[in-house]
Amino acid sequence: MPLLEVDRIHVYYGVIPALVDLSLAVDEGMIVALVGANGAGKSTTLKAIAGVLRPRAGRIRFRGQDITRLGADRRVRLGIALVPEGRQIFSTLSVRENLLLGAYHRRDPEVKKDLEWIYSLFPVLRERMHQVAGTMSGGEQQMLAFGRALMSRPKLLLLDEPSLGLAPLVVREIYRVIEQIREAGITIFLVEQNVNMAMHVADYMYVMEAGQLKMEGVPQEVMRDEDIKRAYLGG
Amino acid sequence: MRRWTSLPGGVKFLLGIAALFLVLFIANSTLNRYVLHVITLIGIYSVATTSLNLTNGYTGLFSLGHAGFMAVGAYVATLLTFPVRLRIAYNLPLLPSFLGGPEYQWPFLPALIVGGIVAAIAALFVGAPVLRLRGHYLSVASLGFMVIITTLAKGLKDLTRGAAGIQAIPRYTNIWWVYAWLVVTIYVIWRLLNSSYGRAMLAIRESETAAQSQGIHPMRYKLLSFVIGAFFAGIAGGLYAHFARSIRPYEFSFYMTFHIVIMLIIGGAGTLLGPTVGAAIVIALKYVLKPVEEGLGIYGLVEIIYALMLIGVMLWRPEGIAGGVNPLKFLMPKRKGGS
Amino acid sequence: MFTATYVAQQLLNGIVLGSMYALLALGMTVVYGILRLINFAHGALVTVGAFTFFGIFVVLGWPFALALVAALVVGGVMGFLLDLVGYRKLRGGPEVSLLITSLGIYILLENFIKLLATPQPYAFRPPAFLVQLHNVGGVAFRTVDVFIVAVSVLIMVAFALFVKRTKLGIAMRATAESVEAAQLVGIGVNQVVAVAFVLGSAVAAITGFMWGAKYGQISYDMGFMAGVKAFVAIVIGGIGSIPGAMIGGFILGLVETLAVGFLPPGFAEYRDAIVFTLLILVLLLRPTGIMGRKEAV
Repeated sequence: MPLLEVDRIHVYYGVIPALVDLSLAVDEGMIVALVGANGAGKSTTLKAIAGVLRPRAGRIRFRGQDITRLGADRRVRLGIALVPEGRQIFSTLSVRENLLLGAYHRRDPEVKKDLEWIYSLFPVLRERMHQVAGTMSGGEQQMLAFGRALMSRPKLLLLDEPSLGLAPLVVREIYRVIEQIREAGITIFLVEQNVNMAMHVADYMYVMEAGQLKMEGVPQEVMRDEDIKRAYLGG
Repeated sequence: MRRWTSLPGGVKFLLGIAALFLVLFIANSTLNRYVLHVITLIGIYSVATTSLNLTNGYTGLFSLGHAGFMAVGAYVATLLTFPVRLRIAYNLPLLPSFLGGPEYQWPFLPALIVGGIVAAIAALFVGAPVLRLRGHYLSVASLGFMVIITTLAKGLKDLTRGAAGIQAIPRYTNIWWVYAWLVVTIYVIWRLLNSSYGRAMLAIRESETAAQSQGIHPMRYKLLSFVIGAFFAGIAGGLYAHFARSIRPYEFSFYMTFHIVIMLIIGGAGTLLGPTVGAAIVIALKYVLKPVEEGLGIYGLVEIIYALMLIGVMLWRPEGIAGGVNPLKFLMPKRKGGS
Repeated sequence: MFTATYVAQQLLNGIVLGSMYALLALGMTVVYGILRLINFAHGALVTVGAFTFFGIFVVLGWPFALALVAALVVGGVMGFLLDLVGYRKLRGGPEVSLLITSLGIYILLENFIKLLATPQPYAFRPPAFLVQLHNVGGVAFRTVDVFIVAVSVLIMVAFALFVKRTKLGIAMRATAESVEAAQLVGIGVNQVVAVAFVLGSAVAAITGFMWGAKYGQISYDMGFMAGVKAFVAIVIGGIGSIPGAMIGGFILGLVETLAVGFLPPGFAEYRDAIVFTLLILVLLLRPTGIMGRKEAV
């Protein structure tokens, strides 16, 4: 049984269809990447999985449980965390407050320990602990968004364009941490425009076009496809 | 014969007016004075609600100061039309020379229009600082404007006789004046909506940012709709003063604004005839329920029912009662297709 | 012409009035911060609180402390119910729907009180110890003035600690910044909003008791102006800022009192007009208020 199953969902923005009959699955322990052009529906897919958008038809199952009707906050409790596009950290709160809110639903005593783990993954966050989050650089904010999501102890981490707008050095740093997160046993579902980066880390890939799935497979296989090559690798 | 739906909008509008005045003519000659009184009042509130609709229904702004603009129109028109010999008895000021001098009493129509213009100028002063900001500021600032106006009407005793109010205002308002102004109000708003101005205003309601990116200056259009709305509110105020024949500051209160808001919401904001439907429902209900309230001694009953209707419409039928079944839908500007 | 004691007296009155505005502004700004709702119904809770206290303490003759707690509880429960029945369904829709609904709820509550209590005003007699007169250096005040300022400061400090130190308080600030992001970290937004309504409404109900005790009279429509002026206080302090709301409350109380105290006698009846003129001036000159962030237009 896959960790996450998206079963023929349709999502609309008003009357405009954004996702049409989309199905995909994410297996436990993997890094799965979703690539596609701008406006293909990648972010919409993540938002539907996270519960920010509700599909008009179809089902979403997580560990076998139907979560289609659950709100975003309930899905966090089940173990789905989204690092949204544009990060959406709480810019008026301190770094530490942001991280603690990541563990909002948790009552267990290990929150402190996880906080230490986040600080070890991103030492810069420890230095900036009491700083107001909005005053940090884009890369630091992305790290905070990662940290905040990890504080909920997710089983599935959804990443929406983690490298967008960041300097190459920071991107490499982010991807180093993505590998570390996977080693910690967390499954990752990744939306990425930077196809090179995605195929480098992913175990499996989905390609979307105009709200529908166009192709899927292991990265090497997908990248052999002539159309895909032309569209994403410039030749 | 051609089908109704295939007629051009202008022809339908003229036919509609003819039908309206035919109905009014029959009503005027057959119904008793009490019913005509109610019909006239419905007309006055229809003008007020239709003008509020221009601001609140089409542009997404939410003004709560409508009673304030009505007060301005009512007081200005009254001061102009008040009979000269009664001015002295009532301690009201004689007109200065640029308004015709101490011996001059204005005819009704120009007095109404001046009342509307002064209300529009007041709207310009309130709107200019506030409309740059988020919609909420307008709600509170326009409410504040209404409070300022009623406080001034109470305080400036030499001009308004203060809390005692002005009585013995000539009874100029009748069913014809009122419905002629209603037709003018609806016509102006219809023309406005079908002009480039109207399309810009609707674009602002849909999304201000998107409108801006198409080169529309939201500020200019919002101010225009606010000012025109205030003009017709001033007209409604003037009609009201010469209908009730007495005005007091506290009449133009939050409750008057609230009633107009209810009429708009119940009738359906953003529709051309919704305001009139809403005014008719709300006023008719008041005349039915007021005797019950007084007979049973349960003061507040009418307002409770209004409030429940308002909340009910907001929760279950936000498009209003006339919203879905607007018979004059053809008058609405056509939205350009696409996303 | 104005002696030092007269000035001190006016300042004192301004601070007492300002405390009450600050308390109302506090409850209103928290709700506004999350829902972008000018909650007109907030003022009605002032009336509800005043009449609850009046009914239990004066009419039934029960103990003072019990009446005060009852006002607090009734206020909180009403806040919870209003949110649940009135506002929850409208969330995510146009902001103006919430505003209109809150107007309707205000009118509903006001007229319900009018229906229960009849339209005439009531003399509001708090317990004797609260109306005891004191005189310090020529400045006269009653125990109730001290009570109002002390309780207000207490509530404000408690609230500041709540939003700064507790997880729920931090979540409240987070939700005010972004509802979507709050949901994405697992915050139940409905729960946070309910807490905001309950706290704000309970505080408004207590303010209703204070208002009655200070001015000696209560009536079914007493809450309206108080509620609207609380919003003016929020605008002065800077929308979205909790400390701003409190500072704005004190400024408004002082300006209103001092304007009446120091302008020629004829101006007293313009006090509401002065408040709203101040509002329009603030919007014209400094729309972000004293502490406010720039809000997206």
